[in-house]
Amino acid sequence: MRVSLFALILVSGITFTTAQEKDELPALDNPHNYIKLLAQDAALPALQGEEKFILRESWWSGRMEPGKAKLIQVQLFRRNAYQFWLAVPNRNGEPIINVYDSEGNLIPSESLNFEGTNIVSTMIQPEITGVYYIRVSLKTTIESPQDWAVIYAYR
Amino acid sequence: MTRFFLFLAVSVLSSQWGLAQEAPVKIDLEDPNLVFVSDSVIPIPLEIFASLDKMGAQDWGRQIESRDIRLDANRSRTAMLFGLVVSEGFIGVQAQDKESVRRLGRDVLALARSLGVSAEVEEHANAIVNGAGRGEWEMVRQELDKTRQTVINKMKELRDDELVALVSLGGWLGGTEALASVLRDNYSAEGSDLLNQPELIKQLKLDFNGLPKRARRGDLFTQVSQTLEHLESLMRSDDTGAISEGKVIEISLATRNLVEAIYES
Repeated sequence: MRVSLFALILVSGITFTTAQEKDELPALDNPHNYIKLLAQDAALPALQGEEKFILRESWWSGRMEPGKAKLIQVQLFRRNAYQFWLAVPNRNGEPIINVYDSEGNLIPSESLNFEGTNIVSTMIQPEITGVYYIRVSLKTTIESPQDWAVIYAYR
Repeated sequence: MTRFFLFLAVSVLSSQWGLAQEAPVKIDLEDPNLVFVSDSVIPIPLEIFASLDKMGAQDWGRQIESRDIRLDANRSRTAMLFGLVVSEGFIGVQAQDKESVRRLGRDVLALARSLGVSAEVEEHANAIVNGAGRGEWEMVRQELDKTRQTVINKMKELRDDELVALVSLGGWLGGTEALASVLRDNYSAEGSDLLNQPELIKQLKLDFNGLPKRARRGDLFTQVSQTLEHLESLMRSDDTGAISEGKVIEISLATRNLVEAIYES
């Protein structure tokens, strides 16, 4: 995992300063960039093969407190499928991601958990074209606020 | 034995793909306590075209126009032009038109230079030009999206937030013009729903009207404001989920007029 993440950092060409301690992960100039890379690492399998998703360069990030959700507005198009990945740095973070329609109704989706508990993904196929809301939150089992990043892809 | 394998498969799948996690089945979007993330992400044309192409092949080549870019000192116009040119690059990728994408790659660099971000864009622009020459469309698509995002990131870094909004607006406008034009030429109620974007326009309008007045001074920006207002009333599906052919034609005309005004002003 750490090897592939390191490779990803190099491939992405994102600048980072030299870690002071050898055992530390490279300290990126923006912590959200590192979290985004975690999400991208988890997304890699979905971006390959015949039915691959196409990753957008746009992404969202921020900081959230346990139990306090944030909503991201996004325009989605019928006939496409979309997959979203939410990552937080802390393995005990237990992030949650769900999608709601323009009326605030939960959209049935498939969710995917990855090794550890700090990355989660959901896939939807919107039945109508329009605005949707991605709801991101943390389970209340963690006490400290977490930085987060969401990336998405379509096919 | 078969049952055992079935059980095993279900167990493995359920540990990977599960039902949506515990979450409220309904949220009140008017709740003042809700926290919305302010960054808006504008769909790229290819995302929309991907949906339309699932209904059958479209003639994207017809949407490519060879327009010359004229640079001036108006950075707001240049930012919109930048977004437009990138979106036209996406149309060129969809049509797999090598020459137009190579030309647009060069235009991207000229516009980036005018915006003072050529150092950040040069590598991507060269990759676009070279990738188009080799017909490596997947890579060109990726580089176009990276170019757009790189410029937006650099503008944010330079605290040029007004230009960020205008790059996004230009990109959306170019994609919408092409989409409306394709739908006008080959109307179907099913495909028309892709123009159902009232919330997105509302956001673009908010972003535009929130710009400092100096960034939207002049006839061109009055036209931008009026066109957004007009489009907001048109780009809304009816009870059947469709947008009428008449409205699609109006959307096509309104977006085309604005695109031409941006190029020619």
